[in-house]
Amino acid sequence: MSSYYETADFRNGLKIEVDGIPYAIVYFQFVKPGKGTAFTRTKLKNMLNGTVIERTYRSGETVLAADIEETPVEFLYEVQGVYTFMNQESFEQIELPGDAVGDEKRFLQENLQCSILFWKGKAMNVSLPNFVEDVVEYAEPAVAGNTSTGATKAARLRCGAEIAVPLFIKEGDMLKIDTRDGSYVSRVNK
Amino acid sequence: MSTSKSALPHRLRQRAAILRALRRFLDDEGLVEVQPPLLVPSPALEANLDAVPAGGRWLHTSPEFHLKRLVAGGLHRVYSVVPCFRAEEHGRHHRREFTLLELYVTNARYDDLIPLVTGLVAAAAHAVGVPAPVFRQVTVAELFGGTVPQDDDSFYRAWVERVDPALGNPTFVLDYPARQAALAQLRGPVAERLEVYLGGLELGNGFSELRDGAELRERFAESGRQRRSCGKEPHPVDEGLIDATARLPRCAGIAIGVDRLVMALTGVDDIAEVVVEADETP
Repeated sequence: MSSYYETADFRNGLKIEVDGIPYAIVYFQFVKPGKGTAFTRTKLKNMLNGTVIERTYRSGETVLAADIEETPVEFLYEVQGVYTFMNQESFEQIELPGDAVGDEKRFLQENLQCSILFWKGKAMNVSLPNFVEDVVEYAEPAVAGNTSTGATKAARLRCGAEIAVPLFIKEGDMLKIDTRDGSYVSRVNK
Repeated sequence: MSTSKSALPHRLRQRAAILRALRRFLDDEGLVEVQPPLLVPSPALEANLDAVPAGGRWLHTSPEFHLKRLVAGGLHRVYSVVPCFRAEEHGRHHRREFTLLELYVTNARYDDLIPLVTGLVAAAAHAVGVPAPVFRQVTVAELFGGTVPQDDDSFYRAWVERVDPALGNPTFVLDYPARQAALAQLRGPVAERLEVYLGGLELGNGFSELRDGAELRERFAESGRQRRSCGKEPHPVDEGLIDATARLPRCAGIAIGVDRLVMALTGVDDIAEVVVEADETP
């Protein structure tokens, strides 16, 4: 059964369905031009691909609630491109192909707590925590004499992902990484 | 927002300075400040304004109806700075309870309000140490590139989606479609109505004031039809206003949102930063 929201229910994070696509409200504003009718101006983030669109609704207009659910899971393992997670509420195992996991899969490591977005009962994508920690398995040696600020080199983490790190990073260092853009954040003291 | 609360004392000092400057300017221009009643039997004309009921009457949505009685009765330059109430209006630029500065001057048309309001805003800007805005003038037809949407729904939707976001610079918008005249005089297909924009905020609405009682009665009837068609009670017809309108000397008037003026001059985008608000719960 479908449920609906009115414009008065709008708040940031509310998940609605527009043209068959689930969106999260990321901005909304009540507007009422002089002598005119009231509207709510919104910015909506596509929950499948992250693009943001703008929509204007008349006050009192109804929109479909998105049949979307975020379930906490733990990553278990990957075998031949199939990623296995455990639902932290039902303890059922969930298997997803790599393309459903998305780009962030390169930072998956055993026992990492993530969440899976279900859209109409189907797993759509996996969200990792914004930051993860991992150990440097291989780092290029620093090139002597290259002291320019901001210079980086490549390093491979235990999870297999390659990222750019500052020159002073050594093999065995524990790093904090931003999974949203794959950038190095800091070295973590052990 | 946590920042807004800590900045509130500073904003309220700026607000007080602006209010002093507004009153001084209008007093020097020979306008008389009055206190109109807030509890009224007829709260509005416009179909899209909803009033807050109180004590078997209504809290007024603007002081217009009673200020016009005073103008008709011989107070030819008059203003008030009072709280007004509009149900269901809440957002970064809206509150159910807000402050309006409304003024009327006789022997004036709507475009005579432009130098008056420019001077008024300059005085307020001076009070908080910001440069006086330089306003441009543009007609509604120019804003729409010549083709103004004919029905209200497309007009307001286009306004909200395309026109309003482009009004970032200080602007007087003139000559609205006759359908949206409210209490303005008509001139052919347009209403002698203007709006003033500052800092992207719609600051105020002014008219060459309607002086035809029969026409006003017809506009009350039309507003009532519009309200009934969307399931709302019509506003009660204000017979005292119809009588006053028929006796009005030639005059122009404008209402300016004081909270928004303070926002525009102090560079804030949330009304919560410039008003004292009641708690959500007791």
